[in-house]
Amino acid sequence: MSRMTLALFTVCVIGAIILALVDRATRAPIAEQQRQEVLRALDSVLPPHTNSADQDSRTVVVGDGSQVVLYLARRGDNVVGTALAVTAPDGYSGDIDIMVGIDRGGRISGVAILSHAETPGLGDKMTTDRDWLPWFRGRSLTDTQWGVKKDGGDVDQFTGATITPRAVVGAIHRALELCASHCRY
Amino acid sequence: MSSAPSTALPAGEGLVAPAPSFSLAELGDDFRRGIWQENGVFKQMLGLCPALAVTTTAVNGLAMGLATLAVMIASSSSVSLFRNLIPANVRIPAFIVMIATFVTVVDLSMNAFAHELHKTLGLFIPLIVVNCIVLGRADAFASKRPLARAIADSVGVGVGFTLALVALGGVRELLGFGSLFGLSIFGASYPPFLIFVLPPGAFIALGLMLAAANHYGATAAKKVGN
Repeated sequence: MSRMTLALFTVCVIGAIILALVDRATRAPIAEQQRQEVLRALDSVLPPHTNSADQDSRTVVVGDGSQVVLYLARRGDNVVGTALAVTAPDGYSGDIDIMVGIDRGGRISGVAILSHAETPGLGDKMTTDRDWLPWFRGRSLTDTQWGVKKDGGDVDQFTGATITPRAVVGAIHRALELCASHCRY
Repeated sequence: MSSAPSTALPAGEGLVAPAPSFSLAELGDDFRRGIWQENGVFKQMLGLCPALAVTTTAVNGLAMGLATLAVMIASSSSVSLFRNLIPANVRIPAFIVMIATFVTVVDLSMNAFAHELHKTLGLFIPLIVVNCIVLGRADAFASKRPLARAIADSVGVGVGFTLALVALGGVRELLGFGSLFGLSIFGASYPPFLIFVLPPGAFIALGLMLAAANHYGATAAKKVGN
């Protein structure tokens, strides 16, 4: 083996060993962080419950063949609500992942944004405006026109940003429809 | 830092036995040079991609700078340690593998122990691999110097990069949101000056800061000249 090959080979082997060790050390903490993140979102959108909703879920296959995880909120033995994560693919920059909690009556119990890359100061008002997401609480498929005001719906858009609210409203509407056909109590 | 005793040598006479190959004063110089004189962002205009992209707030700039600093110290040290074992014609791939290893270590550690920050910086952590300041210092400096000097240089350049990112992030956050490190400076009534938070604002802010730095530098040079 030439000296060049040996040198590169050695560097790669050492690098691989370091990465294997670091991966082993960080895998559990990373998984725990991600679980906590989901759990925090679930607790914030579901009606008051007594179980760990992230460990109480079932997966359903929806119309277009994709899988959706339904997280169940229980108080004692009763299922009091369902949460599901939906993705708005039509935001201003990239996907917006949203957790929607829905109670037994098909009314929204809470909405949380899991991740987004919307413009700071414009699109991200959906998370910084304290009144916007809570506005959805208590609304259902039948009592609300699901669209932004510009499109003839009931939902406020923000000054200078219509695309983000439109995408979010569409995704929440889709979550309600999914739940209407898949949530079982 | 006290400088090593510098014995003035008579002309024509060299050191008989160069016991340490570097002095503390040299280490100090290696460190200081990267802070301003050869600052990666403001003087060499390198590493501008992360400098422009993540500096929407001072905190983001600080986190990105510290992540880069950690990668630089680790990669410069290992490049210096192995400098005599790696043949010159495969040095670049070897350095890149080392840098990529340390970047992944930082990426995984941040994900595990600073999860929120990791979500904010996201894509830009892996991109430290292609930050030309890191490879530049590894190849141009660390691959030809003993360990201590390589570390001094990487800390200096890394701290210089961090300061540049904090300054740029601070200016953009202050003008954009009226706050600094998340603390409101101009009060709640300050209307957000969004252009400075958006990508064009990064270029404008950096341009203005460069102009100010050059003006200051030129004025100072003129004074020395007189």
